[in-house]
Amino acid sequence: MSKTATFERGIHPKYRKELAAGKSITQANLPQRIVVPVSQHIGAPAKPEVNIGDEVKRGQVIGSTTGFVSSPVHSSISGKVTAIADFPTSVGKMVQSIVIESDGKDEAISFKEHPDYMNLSADEIKTIIKDAGIVGMGGAAFPTNVKLSPPKEKTIDTVIINGAECEPYLTADHRLMVEHPREVVEGLKIIMKSLGVKEGHIGIEENKPDAIKAMESAISGEANIKVWPLEIKYPQGAEKMLIKAVKGREVPSKGLPMDVGVVVQNVGTALAVYEAVRFGKPLLERVVTVTGNGIREPKNMMVRIGTLMSDVIEQCGGLVDGAVKVISGGPMMGFAQWTLDVPVVKGTSGILVLAEDEYVSSDQYSACIRCGSCIDVCPMGLNPSILSIYSEKGFYEDAKANNLFDCFECGSCAYVCPAKRPMVQFIRLAKSQVKP
Amino acid sequence: MATEAKAHELIVSVSPHVRGQETVARIMWTVNLSLLPAFIMSVYYFGPLAAFVTGLCILSAVLSEHIYQTSLKKKSTIGDGSAFLTGLLLGLNLPPSVPFYIPIVGSVIAIVITKLLFGGLGYNVFNPALIGRAFLLISFPKLMTIWSEPTAQFVAMDAKTTATPLGVLKEEGLAKLIEIFGDKTDLYMSLLMGSRAGSLGETSAIALLIGAALLLYRGYITWHIPFSFIATVGVMAWAFGGQAGLFTGDPLIHILSGGLILGAFFMATDYVTCPSIRKGQIIFGIGCGAITMMIRLKGGFPEGVMFAILLMNCFAPLIDRGVKSKKFGAVKEQKEQKK
Amino acid sequence: MSLKPKSNWELIKNGMFGENTIFRMAISLCPSIAVTNGMKNGVALGISVVFVQTMVNMTVSLMRKFIHPKIRIPIFMLVIAGYVTIIDLLMATYARPIYKEIGLYIQIIVAFASIFARAEVYASKNKVFSSMCDGLGMGIGFLLAMVVISFFRELLGKGTLFGYPIVSGSPLLIMILPAGGFLAVGLLMGFFNWIDMRFFGGKGASGV
Repeated sequence: MSKTATFERGIHPKYRKELAAGKSITQANLPQRIVVPVSQHIGAPAKPEVNIGDEVKRGQVIGSTTGFVSSPVHSSISGKVTAIADFPTSVGKMVQSIVIESDGKDEAISFKEHPDYMNLSADEIKTIIKDAGIVGMGGAAFPTNVKLSPPKEKTIDTVIINGAECEPYLTADHRLMVEHPREVVEGLKIIMKSLGVKEGHIGIEENKPDAIKAMESAISGEANIKVWPLEIKYPQGAEKMLIKAVKGREVPSKGLPMDVGVVVQNVGTALAVYEAVRFGKPLLERVVTVTGNGIREPKNMMVRIGTLMSDVIEQCGGLVDGAVKVISGGPMMGFAQWTLDVPVVKGTSGILVLAEDEYVSSDQYSACIRCGSCIDVCPMGLNPSILSIYSEKGFYEDAKANNLFDCFECGSCAYVCPAKRPMVQFIRLAKSQVKP
Repeated sequence: MATEAKAHELIVSVSPHVRGQETVARIMWTVNLSLLPAFIMSVYYFGPLAAFVTGLCILSAVLSEHIYQTSLKKKSTIGDGSAFLTGLLLGLNLPPSVPFYIPIVGSVIAIVITKLLFGGLGYNVFNPALIGRAFLLISFPKLMTIWSEPTAQFVAMDAKTTATPLGVLKEEGLAKLIEIFGDKTDLYMSLLMGSRAGSLGETSAIALLIGAALLLYRGYITWHIPFSFIATVGVMAWAFGGQAGLFTGDPLIHILSGGLILGAFFMATDYVTCPSIRKGQIIFGIGCGAITMMIRLKGGFPEGVMFAILLMNCFAPLIDRGVKSKKFGAVKEQKEQKK
Repeated sequence: MSLKPKSNWELIKNGMFGENTIFRMAISLCPSIAVTNGMKNGVALGISVVFVQTMVNMTVSLMRKFIHPKIRIPIFMLVIAGYVTIIDLLMATYARPIYKEIGLYIQIIVAFASIFARAEVYASKNKVFSSMCDGLGMGIGFLLAMVVISFFRELLGKGTLFGYPIVSGSPLLIMILPAGGFLAVGLLMGFFNWIDMRFFGGKGASGV
């Protein structure tokens, strides 16, 4: 392999991917009940299209879009709507959700297949993607069709598939690339077609050699697609870092990837795009890594959207006695849960259960000793120490003047901080107090 | 649903949920460890009295921090090793034969006045150990400049008093200095090993470099400050230090003598009082070096490392404000603005 | 000023403690560092300030109805300068040795913020006797501060008081240097803040 691509700075946390990296994706049991939040994405929430008591089938639209930046939601099982009310979600908010009790039959509506999918026009592809409710599956859950519809003045010349999966512990994308490389590549080709782009890249961190190998064999014969082994470094999978590593372009401050002519899509999204366009399947299930020392059997599971985390955890043998923290997503940017009765949504890439030995408390922190470690690791080249001090003392405007809003909360600064300061919390506090 | 029985009490906190291994205490105790070779050499050259002076410094620094914090009903932070480090550094910066009250006064000034009154570790403007030493040097100028000759015997002896190499250089010139040590090679070797008069911990360059290597290896300090500091001293000594005009000075003598190695690796690099952006650290180091050489060559004192670092400590926040690290995505933005 | 008129004794007390020029208001710090390396100098300057402050307050208060507000500042200046000149010449004649050391600072009394401030905020608005009491209080407050600071500085820095040896041994030379002045003023200010907070329920110096 040639010299590995990467970005400046970043950290090397303990990856602990070995817990679940070798586990093939298994199908989760049919859930008894699903809770589908109408807002699983960034943008306007979907509007419920069903009433209490309605019978729904798998794949049926139960919430429709309400704006351009929005995404529909579908039922992932067949059954009866029993409630439409506010329920907790994995990000900690109460969100209007549709509860469906399974009838055990798992009947599906008929999906419209396109065997000749490469002959579809760009607009047709985008409509299919939109109707399938596909959102970015790396965690941010930005509606994919919006990303594929850049304003006219922006010329897009490159699509990058993000297979970096730089979050420690998580292996969902890894397993997808190992088990479904062909489908991911087809998904990439569909995305390229919808954007009219000739250049495709797949970036994979080097700690997944089997995935790199699988993807490289899957792209054989595709002249304009390239697999990039990336240096093992967090946050390699952040959009801006990935673009820097692969294309050498820097997304300007306050800008988006499309400002430098690049669209980045997650591996899972590419697969979902393929399944939606080829088989007409809406986004009904996703791969979730259930891992950590706090879980009895770490697994990678194909879980239906709306399945409760407690169901999933039960199927992995349940929590061990010393489990202290359940996180939706990865350990660096995921959300700690206060209850396990929250649904798996489109953006849930993992359920991580930390045992006491992995958990480091940040209740006790001391003054910043200005060691500069955070400055050395900040991928955005910010000065997190001064941001945290400004925020701690209430000087939010000063924090803003120091590029507060370039921070994407990757947590590298908090990871390295010897004084154990909750840097991300300080930065979020400041962000909430001033306008961008 | 949310009220169902929970088998586990879950902790909820903000991301990231995993943290690195480094702690303030771990860093401080490693720095303490890295000064061990210098401490051993000081005992070797100056006898048990050296251990007594350094020990007394450490004891009074740790005690004064503990007493101050407990009497104000605050959490005692002596466990983080920073008070220990301040005491140790102060001890290594004192002349071998000082009366017992000097270490105590210096440590109390260093810990209470310089560090704790400003808010404790992280808030101090100046390096505590250096302020302690500056206070002592100004208050007790005579006692603080009695230098004993190294005996190299691990035993207490009535050591003769003598002048430091820099003192000789300043008062009597290079020729006399070389004459004292034999020839030039002997002089370099003595400076390197530490067989010369000076503060307890500053004499043995080799022992200090061993400790510095540990810190560099662990990444607790970077090359920026020590390198720019020492390089500036070297260049200025070479350019202006000679008697025969420009560019005839001997940089090695200036680099190896005085407290330069100790100061550049262990005290200028003090996290709290140096700039935290690497580019700024180079400016800081150059400033330290320039002031050191100005004092050594033109000033009233033979040695200037201490005052150089203290003066540059004042500028550290300013440097940090002026120097920005390379920001991701900023280059493009500036170009657009120019259009 | 305060809503309730203060008695004359309260005015003096206020000047001495509550609004002590140096430790509470933190003004006129320059002389408090420059001349307090010996008690003799400190006391001499303090007494001069008591005299000037009292007399200035009295004069300004007497003239307060005739001073046009637009030119009040030059007038205050002139009044202060007049009394300072009196003190200056008196000291130059009768206290030659002290004058040699602190003469400059006697002349600088003209620019003392504390004297000027009292003339502006109090004497120009109040009756003659209460203005004098206010000035006396302020002056004594300054004098007390000078005594306290110079006491510690001379004792620690030289081991003497008014030039008479008190303790033997090596003194802390730094205390009679400017750096020691800052140390002494800072620590004493902190100490008085602590007393205020601990015993009188205050919130510490305003810190302006």
